[in-house]
Amino acid sequence: MTKLPKCEDKKLGLLIDLDTCVGCHGCVVSCKEWNSSGGEKQLSDLNSHQKDPVGTFLNRVHSYERENSCTNETETFYFPRSCLHCEDAPCVTVCPTGASYKREEDGIVLVNEDDCMGCGLCAWACPYGARELDLVSGVMKKCTLCVDRIYSEELPPEDRVPVCVKSCPTGARAFGDFNDPNSDVSKKVKERGGVDLMPEMQTKPVNKYLLPRIKSKNSASSVGSVVEEETDATGLLGWVDRALSKF
Amino acid sequence: MHPAPSIILFTVLSGFGFGLISIVGLLQFLNQISEFDIIIFSGMGLFFSIIGLISSFFHLANKKNAIKSLSQWQTSWLSREAISSVLCLSIVVGNIGWVIVQNRYINDVGIMLFLLSLFTVFTTSMIYAQLKTVPSWNNMLTPAIFIFAALAGGSILLMDFASLVLLLIFGVLQVLFWYTADQSFIYKETSVGTALGFSKNEDIRSFDLAHTSRNYLLNEMVYKVARKHSVKIRYISFFSAFVLPMSLVLMFPGNLSVSALVMASHLIGIYFSRWLFFAEAKHSVGFYYN
Repeated sequence: MTKLPKCEDKKLGLLIDLDTCVGCHGCVVSCKEWNSSGGEKQLSDLNSHQKDPVGTFLNRVHSYERENSCTNETETFYFPRSCLHCEDAPCVTVCPTGASYKREEDGIVLVNEDDCMGCGLCAWACPYGARELDLVSGVMKKCTLCVDRIYSEELPPEDRVPVCVKSCPTGARAFGDFNDPNSDVSKKVKERGGVDLMPEMQTKPVNKYLLPRIKSKNSASSVGSVVEEETDATGLLGWVDRALSKF
Repeated sequence: MHPAPSIILFTVLSGFGFGLISIVGLLQFLNQISEFDIIIFSGMGLFFSIIGLISSFFHLANKKNAIKSLSQWQTSWLSREAISSVLCLSIVVGNIGWVIVQNRYINDVGIMLFLLSLFTVFTTSMIYAQLKTVPSWNNMLTPAIFIFAALAGGSILLMDFASLVLLLIFGVLQVLFWYTADQSFIYKETSVGTALGFSKNEDIRSFDLAHTSRNYLLNEMVYKVARKHSVKIRYISFFSAFVLPMSLVLMFPGNLSVSALVMASHLIGIYFSRWLFFAEAKHSVGFYYN
């Protein structure tokens, strides 16, 4: 049913640290790999070895630059974009067939592909571009929060996290229950000030982002001073230095 | 937004068809129409509505599940639209059948058809008006132009004075819609800053692509082609949908062959108007690709 449940038990989601993300696209690749291998799962590609390749992805990494108001320098950061598993998910309520739904037990937003008619309205309703229509199967695809991993009894316990979290080489992605104030993700959100994307859209996203920390003027100039500072050489190099200085 | 021909034809043709059905219904309720005209004109309304609905069917990527769209009326405007149009068209068929068999009509069925067909047009418009992601659609002018375009289109063949009034209201609403559409994102709080979790005025630019060629999101929601001609197309649309029909009705009142020409001109104008409705609409996902 496309009526939104009250998820009072658990709110599972991702915490993405933009300060740590290096934009390697590892999460994109591992997401595509996990979600298109085995069984009926497919994230199709068209023209993959030709001029205009197009494919379905559940996660995309953007690259941005911004002015640091403190140092007047341009800083770059990377921004992974995927489904935020919103509490007031507009993509769910617009669905005419009942294919889109939000799970009551953990708040994960999913698509039942057997019911989807591929009208694309849910993709229009999502402010974040988190849903992509698969051009081959004709049904809507979106992040499942790796629901087939996190509850899997076949995988070893340390692998029971979304594959993007597991594969991130810098630990920029964390997975947890945002409803539990003692979970690691909740603590980090409190400590670092986790933010919502487009809060004005009133979707109440579960996923939170940690913004890049503003580097202060001091930290920026101290990097420079380390490079410029000359220390007196000692030992053999010191003797060469002193000997050459005589001429 | 991508101006898909299937969707534009759907809103234009089914809007016109349901508009015709509603006007026939109103005249039936008021006892102002002959049995023969009910059969002809509601038949015509039925034809256009069904052509429109078939066209929308071709927009679906997974057509075999289309029947399931009748199930989610509690939350989904698209589902309500599907149910309402099926119900309305069934009553139209019943009404035509009754008139053919009995050679008379029931006035109260007329008011029911009038209200139900307008409600169907309203549900169509709410599919777009409900989307917070597209600010130029997300206001009550969207249902207003859909409903008055339907009423004006439907009245051209059957009424003279009333069609002038309805055309005039439609023309005013259309200009108002374009005026507000031009300002939609200026008045909203969304920017590339809020899209990335910063404040609204944060100065952020994209320096590299998230993917190397276009994708579904860009094709569907970040449609930019031909926006540069939008002002010219607005003139064409306004002339064809409003100015020419108004002038012809004023010059040749009550002439059915002129009415047919007026109707054709009006529909072409509405087609351009709907093309702009989609092509000019900006979706918030575009901020990620700034």
